[in-house]
Amino acid sequence: MPDPIEDQLKRLIVDTLGLEDVTPESIETAAPLFGEGLGLDSIDALELALAIHTRFGVQTKENDEKNREYYHSVSSLAEFIRSRQAEKSASGG
Amino acid sequence: MSPPAQHGLWPALCCFGRGVSVLLTVSAYTVIAPFGYLVLAVLCACWRRQPQQRARRLQRITASAYRLMFDWLALVRIARFDHRRTLPGRPQGSCVVIANHPTLMDVTAITAVLGGGCTIVKSALYRRRMLHPLLVGAGHVEGPGDDPISIGRVVDELVGRLRDGFSVIVFPEGTRSPRDRLGHFGRTAFEIACRAGVPLVSIGVRCSPRYLSKDDPLLSPARTLPELRLQVLAVDDPTDARLDSRMLREMAESRFNAWFGAALAGHPSASYVQEGKNSSCPIRSKTS
Repeated sequence: MPDPIEDQLKRLIVDTLGLEDVTPESIETAAPLFGEGLGLDSIDALELALAIHTRFGVQTKENDEKNREYYHSVSSLAEFIRSRQAEKSASGG
Repeated sequence: MSPPAQHGLWPALCCFGRGVSVLLTVSAYTVIAPFGYLVLAVLCACWRRQPQQRARRLQRITASAYRLMFDWLALVRIARFDHRRTLPGRPQGSCVVIANHPTLMDVTAITAVLGGGCTIVKSALYRRRMLHPLLVGAGHVEGPGDDPISIGRVVDELVGRLRDGFSVIVFPEGTRSPRDRLGHFGRTAFEIACRAGVPLVSIGVRCSPRYLSKDDPLLSPARTLPELRLQVLAVDDPTDARLDSRMLREMAESRFNAWFGAALAGHPSASYVQEGKNSSCPIRSKTS
């Protein structure tokens, strides 16, 4: 069953980063975003973090040791967004 | 003295002599360098109230030290680099300098010729106790490490350096170049040039024969004297790429690949690459 956050993320990646020859459907959910996977670079990561903040209201903290883990793939990023949104709603934010 | 043969006793003796020179130089550096770093740390503390002026002074001192180092390396026949040769086409004022990275000596060579410049330093090196005061004082920037998001801090700091009038030196491959090709270019250098609106200067570096590359370590000097040459390949105005760092990267990367391929093949059209003496480099645009 398609995950709405994962689908939105794939569209966000293509739109925000202006990827040519890549469609949201062609992005594999578990494939690495950087290096040999989708081939994104660190500036892409920065742009993606800003876009995620705007779209989902989730801020990525700088110097968080787990950022590499969160930004590994679409599925890990979706999990990160879900957990932050759950924390926010639990704290009433 | 008869001309040196490619094979035989003479090159072997030269190589052995260079090995001895390297050992002596490394030993002398190990003994003397801590005192130098101590003096620079004291100067950093003395000049702390004027950080920009401190950075300029420290960069000038470092560039002079690199020039002395190259004079010494030539004297003891470890490597040759003519830092007195100017780089035709280099713009005045702050700019982003990118270069291929065939050897560990290239950053010192570029700094020696430019007279200074801020660089991105790997976290492990940046935090080394002996080097830290000098690196901070001279305005160098700590690399992003493993966190993909912290590149934002690096970009902000480098754009700040450019706006303060410093030049920034970046190796877009992120590590030393492979032997037979160039590595893929990252986007940081191009992003900061676009954000700061300063020229992007592409410098082609050649070290022949290769030395201090990934495959040619310090204690394995080549049989012939390694010679380092720099050449301005182009100066790009980021507005030519509509301030788009992806487009600017593609322009620069394809130019570097064409230059490297031509140099590797010894193609006559790459004559400006081979000896670095004439100035037929394709300067796209100049910005003062």
